[in-house]
Amino acid sequence: MANVVGSSVERVEDARLLTGRGRFTDDVRLPGTLHAAFLRSIVPHARIRRIDVERARTLPGVSAVFTAADFEGVVQPLDFSAGIPGHTLPTFGPLSGDKARYVGDPLAVVVATSRYVAEDALGLIDVEFEELPHVLTVEDALAVGAPVLFEELGDNLVYDALHEYGDVEAAFAAADRVVTATIAQHRFTSSALETRGAVASYDPESGELLYHSSNKSPHMLRVRLSEHLGLPQHRIRVVTKDVGGAFGGKGAIWREDLAVAAASLLLGRPVKWIEDRSENLTAFGGAREEDLDLEAAVDADGVILGLRVRMRMNHGAYPGMWLTPMFAALVRSTILSALRVRAMSFATTIAATNKNTYISYRGPGASETLARERLLDAVAAELGLDAVEIRRRNLLTRAEQPRVQPNGVTVHRAHARETLEAAVELAGYDELRREQERARAEARLVGIGVATSIQPCPGFPDWWRAVGYRTEPEPARVRLEPDGRLTVVTSEMPTGQGHETTLAQVAADCLGVPFGDVHVVFGDTQTTPFYYFGSGASRASNMGAGAVLRATGTLKRRILELAAHLLEVRADDLELADGAVRARGAPSRQVTLEELARRAYREPDAFPPGAAAGLDALEYYEPEEGSGGWAASTHVCVVEVDGETGVVGIRRYVVVEDCGPLINPAVVAGQIRGGIAQGLGGALLEHAAYDEDGQFLAGTFMTYLLPTALEVPEVEIHHLEIPTDDPVPFRGVGESGAIMAPAVLSAAIEDALRPFGVRVDRLPLTPTRILELIGAIPVESPG
Amino acid sequence: MSGTLPVRLTVNGEPREALAEPRHTLADFLRHGLGLTGTHVGCEHGVCGACTVVVDGEPVRSCLMLAVQADGAEVLTVEGLATDGRLHPVQEAFRERHSFQCGFCTPGFVMTAYAFLRESPEPSRAEIRKALSSNLCRCTGYQSIVDGVELAAEKLRGDGRGSGG
Amino acid sequence: MKPAPFRYHRPETLDETLALLAEIGDDAAVLAGGQSLVPVLALRLASPAHVVDVNRVPGLDVIAANGSLALGALVRQQAACVAQAVRSSQPLLAEALPLVGHRETRGRGTVVGSLAHADPAAELPTVAVALDAEIALASCRGVRTVPAAEFFLAPFMTARAPDELVTEVRFPAWPAGAGHAFLEFARRSHDFALAAVAVLLQLDADGAVAGARLAFAGVGSTPVRADGAEDALHGQPAGEESFRAAAEAAVAVLDPPSDVLASAAYRRHVARVLLIRALRQAAERAREERA
Repeated sequence: MANVVGSSVERVEDARLLTGRGRFTDDVRLPGTLHAAFLRSIVPHARIRRIDVERARTLPGVSAVFTAADFEGVVQPLDFSAGIPGHTLPTFGPLSGDKARYVGDPLAVVVATSRYVAEDALGLIDVEFEELPHVLTVEDALAVGAPVLFEELGDNLVYDALHEYGDVEAAFAAADRVVTATIAQHRFTSSALETRGAVASYDPESGELLYHSSNKSPHMLRVRLSEHLGLPQHRIRVVTKDVGGAFGGKGAIWREDLAVAAASLLLGRPVKWIEDRSENLTAFGGAREEDLDLEAAVDADGVILGLRVRMRMNHGAYPGMWLTPMFAALVRSTILSALRVRAMSFATTIAATNKNTYISYRGPGASETLARERLLDAVAAELGLDAVEIRRRNLLTRAEQPRVQPNGVTVHRAHARETLEAAVELAGYDELRREQERARAEARLVGIGVATSIQPCPGFPDWWRAVGYRTEPEPARVRLEPDGRLTVVTSEMPTGQGHETTLAQVAADCLGVPFGDVHVVFGDTQTTPFYYFGSGASRASNMGAGAVLRATGTLKRRILELAAHLLEVRADDLELADGAVRARGAPSRQVTLEELARRAYREPDAFPPGAAAGLDALEYYEPEEGSGGWAASTHVCVVEVDGETGVVGIRRYVVVEDCGPLINPAVVAGQIRGGIAQGLGGALLEHAAYDEDGQFLAGTFMTYLLPTALEVPEVEIHHLEIPTDDPVPFRGVGESGAIMAPAVLSAAIEDALRPFGVRVDRLPLTPTRILELIGAIPVESPG
Repeated sequence: MSGTLPVRLTVNGEPREALAEPRHTLADFLRHGLGLTGTHVGCEHGVCGACTVVVDGEPVRSCLMLAVQADGAEVLTVEGLATDGRLHPVQEAFRERHSFQCGFCTPGFVMTAYAFLRESPEPSRAEIRKALSSNLCRCTGYQSIVDGVELAAEKLRGDGRGSGG
Repeated sequence: MKPAPFRYHRPETLDETLALLAEIGDDAAVLAGGQSLVPVLALRLASPAHVVDVNRVPGLDVIAANGSLALGALVRQQAACVAQAVRSSQPLLAEALPLVGHRETRGRGTVVGSLAHADPAAELPTVAVALDAEIALASCRGVRTVPAAEFFLAPFMTARAPDELVTEVRFPAWPAGAGHAFLEFARRSHDFALAAVAVLLQLDADGAVAGARLAFAGVGSTPVRADGAEDALHGQPAGEESFRAAAEAAVAVLDPPSDVLASAAYRRHVARVLLIRALRQAAERAREERA
């Protein structure tokens, strides 16, 4: 039987997903379920003088209408403060009672016999707003006299900090020149195909809360529900079955979660809330809205010696569970990549505005790659160097690693240079440049973009320390069933990444059992070991697999001990293969796992006391200091811009990456391509835009444009799989596409427009923006 | 008539009947009235295609049809494609090509592909992309779905050679 | 995103439909394909007290071709797309139809429904205006015909009175030898147009423009007929110079909207680009027709 790790085994989950037997949150049907709908603010900033819900309450079919006051004493207010110096946060409840602070702010929740009736009731709620001036930009939010969102805090400054690493002055003094770059990124959002949703079912008899949710961190949810509702954690069960895409944002507790859970508590009945698409686009949250100004101290060869960065983030009105200083820290901790920078100062300013919450979205620190790669291109342009050459000069080689970067982050086994050189070859870079020459001779706007980055997948402990988050060791449990099959219980929470399959592959190979004999269980706090973080940060292939390897390792030792007893052979002389334990060199001396398990569980006298006790192994995994580090990739793309319409055609897109050995190549390819599609959407199509009145402009799929099969190109992927001595060699890849695509597309478009001498310093690169850049049309107000 | 009306139709070959308010969409009727939750709701304004089913032989966005309009109709949903426990070639091909990830857009794509291949049994890759551009997927970047439809077309034609690429 | 409650009517004859509209038409929406109406109801942009489903009314799904081409109210966009009569006798309409929505919406969406909905960015109203189509309306008061140019009044507003049903649209006979082009620009293919142009071009024996019909979608509150540009083209040799001049004249009078998808300047610019490209294409096809 061949090993399954490394092969594109068909996914276990597809059997149900392809036949419509998935179990998503709206598929959950509990008897007596009521349905919730939220009344949301239609103004960006206002005092709420009055909310009159009487007409709504008396509509036939309505069980209750709750406002902020109804949840006082029932729900502990949200206070995400974490003692970060310089970080100021408000306290707030699930519903807004005194003020509305963004279009979409939840003000009331109706619970009725159907969502249809609940929405009817929303129309019967009268709200008297006293509108206040609003702010939409960081600049306006921090201006003197700006309207303050949370008056008790005095101003809109959420976070202000300066971090300095190394001797920045010296680096700039040694510079041959200073090169600047700016990139302003817009707000966009994750827009998973499945919106948020939950079914809260509180049983007053037992005092237990069952909570189904479209969420990727069920244990986190359980802890938070417990804290805010005053229920003991062991009386809360969170079940997350199939989740239709999470992409970061669904790893938090939301105000709506608390409102829905509280409603169930108060009514003693199941309450279901399924977010509709308008809510999801308007009120779930926005990501990536940050501006970075960079100054680089550059030597005569184009090597960046020192960096000064100023970053401004648009926080939106309400804090989310994951804190914006942490996202800033992600940028700060990763921006130096595998460069030879000696010193850096990084100033961060985060301000509250009358927009939706800043949320985590696949590759939340992506601005670090966007900004750094734009800067490298700016350096290259000033020195007249090619995009590949500037990166060659700046990227650390393997021989130079490990290197501790000025920000305390170790770069080790980061094969960025290798991906760059391989990309040059595999993309036929030199020929691409020659083709570009020919195209330019015909006045065609063809551009080539190159970008390289390293991503913490899962990231060394010192990277996590720099980010300011201490992740806990990850558990996994593997049990040998009485029939010789395996159950793997993971605390990963798959939302499309295929963990049900990939972790089964890892366990199957480790214990020599057929792939089909491994069943992976996830997504139920009653069954899975506690793990606060859930899935995310491209950690599963290292941490999730690492935990499974630990647990299967323990189980294997135990199995071999028992088999040694049965076969009267030393454990060291035994091996596991094809679902059996057999003596090496004497394969007829064997016992199937089925027989061994059956006897261990059912015939305790056949073994020393306690035999079966070890066949259910719970283990924890955490990379040691210096291991579990970086994945690297280089993306190369060729675009052609239609100078008359500003449309960008992507002619070629090549990825060379190294995430170590692949558990399932098809799964890896899917993650990369999916990420690229999201990055492309963010760069060219998607915009969570507000007008100057603070009204949200992208509340449907007619105005929030997701890329379709005609906008996403064919992506060629090459894997380097450079061997390392890492005990758990798999590294993550889930976010790299989303991080890299905006950077490489920005570079390619700027390169295409080189005849016009424009710099790309703002996203999105819509057709309007491109024609404005080349001067074909006048600039209208910035979007 | 604004109270409920009986809707009698054939779904996946079986006669079904349930009550619906005139304003209930066919999508909600299938999911909650008939308990067929395979059809998914992604946007409720006809753009994402996750709700695609086949009505009287035509691919249709079930969120854009009122349930009462399906009275007397023959509806095919994703639950009706596999027969006798065997996956339909479209489903088989999608599985072989790892076409999907989270599975939420999947039923809509399955039905769209099913209907498309009945009208265009020998599509080029470009034609497949164009046909699939009617549905949104957030996970895959579409290439694996195109691969799946390409393989499904071969299977349905009985090519049996396996995909060329 | 659920519709508000309404009373649902499903008349079985045209007379029944018209009687109904006479009674409740002021607060009713007509449901044919539903591809435009249902999202409006779901978003609660409109909450009519009544919905009149005309899908069971016989006789409204006829495609009649005898010189002119008449499409009844229930002719689906997809049926029109594949109909031999449409393809052979109305090339401009045939070119625009596959661009309307997606296959999954065309199976139910109707040609007349798109006209009655009057989205300024929709393709079919612009084709109707370019070709001087006639829209037939019926009510208890009788029948009347409104030229397309007078039918579209404002975004989502037409000359249809509340008690009227649009029963058919009639496209005049296609002039022999005329070239055509329909070009559209959208952020993604099959989205509503940021700008689209419908062109019919007739050339004389010397290759000069004998007749031109030019209409835009997406750049005004209704389809915009570029009559100034049509006049400018008349008698001119069909070529780059006259095309550019016509396009300049056409966009000079446009007042397109600005929104999150594109600026007004962009729409004006791309309308000009599309018109030039469309004129080139139409001229080439006209020459092919002659040859």
